[in-house]
Amino acid sequence: MRALARRYGASPVHLLVHLAAFGLALWAILHVLDLRNARNVVVWFAAALIAQDLILIPAYSALDRLAQRVRVAGLPAVNHIRVPAVVSGLLLLVYFPLISGRADGNLRFVSGIEPSGYLERWLAIVAAVWVASAVVLGLRLLLRQQLRDPVVAPGDGDGA
Amino acid sequence: MRTPPGPFRPTFWRSPLRGPWLTTLLGALLLPGVVVVAVTGFLSEAAYEPSLGGNAIVPVALPLTFGWPTSPPWLYALTQGLHVNAGLAVVPLLLAKLWSVVPKLFAWPPARSPAALVERLSIALLVGSALFELVTGVTNMQNWYPWGFNFVVAHYYGAVVFVAALVAHVVVKLPTMRRAWRDRPGTPPAHAAEPTITRRGLLGLVGAGSAAVLLANVGETIGGPLRATALLAPRRATRPGPNGFPVNKTAAAARVDPALTGPGWRLLLVHGDARRELSRDELLALDQRTETLPIACVEGWTTTQEWEGVPLAALAELVGAGDAGDVLVESLQPRGVLRAATLSHRQFSAEPSLLALRVNGVDLSLDHGFPARIVVPALPGVHATKWVSTMTFAA
Repeated sequence: MRALARRYGASPVHLLVHLAAFGLALWAILHVLDLRNARNVVVWFAAALIAQDLILIPAYSALDRLAQRVRVAGLPAVNHIRVPAVVSGLLLLVYFPLISGRADGNLRFVSGIEPSGYLERWLAIVAAVWVASAVVLGLRLLLRQQLRDPVVAPGDGDGA
Repeated sequence: MRTPPGPFRPTFWRSPLRGPWLTTLLGALLLPGVVVVAVTGFLSEAAYEPSLGGNAIVPVALPLTFGWPTSPPWLYALTQGLHVNAGLAVVPLLLAKLWSVVPKLFAWPPARSPAALVERLSIALLVGSALFELVTGVTNMQNWYPWGFNFVVAHYYGAVVFVAALVAHVVVKLPTMRRAWRDRPGTPPAHAAEPTITRRGLLGLVGAGSAAVLLANVGETIGGPLRATALLAPRRATRPGPNGFPVNKTAAAARVDPALTGPGWRLLLVHGDARRELSRDELLALDQRTETLPIACVEGWTTTQEWEGVPLAALAELVGAGDAGDVLVESLQPRGVLRAATLSHRQFSAEPSLLALRVNGVDLSLDHGFPARIVVPALPGVHATKWVSTMTFAA
């Protein structure tokens, strides 16, 4: 038993728990595959994985590297970019069907009301969070001037 | 074999924040969120009473259903509101958790033991199903269907895969989490870059993202004046007047022929050999009851209105069906999975359950189900059948 566990690389509990999970998952996947017009569920599964791990993460990591270089009057501004970028980006990601108008036809058909203003309201939120972030940065710059503190090391202030 | 260059080398990953402690913290925050979403999701399946009549949408489901209660009346609004809004709020947390462990995706060699291979497979199922569930849920709630499968069926089986993989993941990772929590963050590796944000700052960033996504929608779940604060919610728009509250499907979308809702309309009650036909005027002449009840949609929006009509229990008595086990309610809607729904005995006999004829002091509008619609406390909105034509009580 112990030799088997050593060869497997983990405790028997590890194997049993996974076998049970795979059994249940296989039951669900086979039911989906059994249904007409549902086979592409598996394609969407894989596409979601690839989109997140190989497209989304590298894309925002690259943008973040660029943002890390931004300094305003010598002050690192990266977190003044991160906060509004994360808020506006997440809202776009989650509400993409409405903001882009892709859901309009369906939504108009079922609800009887013309969906309107989603892009405009998202842009208004985007403008508000970027302006708010810029104002905070401006206040920090002003405060620094008042304190006459010419050296601001990274890691000061808001933890940047 | 030599380690390939780029992300397969540990030195490629330079964030000083990543590490077992941060992953443990993000996991500990994410876990309650996804548990709420999963539990409320399976509760919604139970609320559809799939064991009755033709209610089942998922062909073969896990035996997790039970007699869905009718009290409190806002029960389904609460569970489904939690399902959708907690689902929205966990999106940023899940993305942050995946960011914190992305170097493991490129670990080299890919598996050091059979156990590691098994674990990688289960994690692929876990991440794939988590993303799949969030993507399908979020797009369904916005009425966008870029795929060719039935949403309910795919979302249900995807949830089964997710729960199975999640349980395995939590069981095998609990010792790792405990160890990482005890060891505290520790010093970042030598190749790590200078920090540009604190761990607390990163959590704040994720929290700000969750709050933004949540606040853009949650108003349509609470309803009333807060609906207008839900800047990006799909059902934020209303019309003026007592019938102005949102509908799931208009009469046109349900292909209901308005000619069938005129003076010739009759409600047919059936119980075995007993049959009774009632015109709308005859229904209005019966004892009326007024109830303030929410209609809660599976898409996560709620609207609470003052309904007026005949208690369903009184209609059952007209054909001697007070003790019937269930009632099949059919609509004038000619097609569609939800043109009919079966209500349990508990549901049709609950005191506030109505065949509503009027709302907020006026006749129902055609889009809200004129001549008559079902309103039952804690019932999923799509089972509150509109344009009712026939009610068949189980003999």
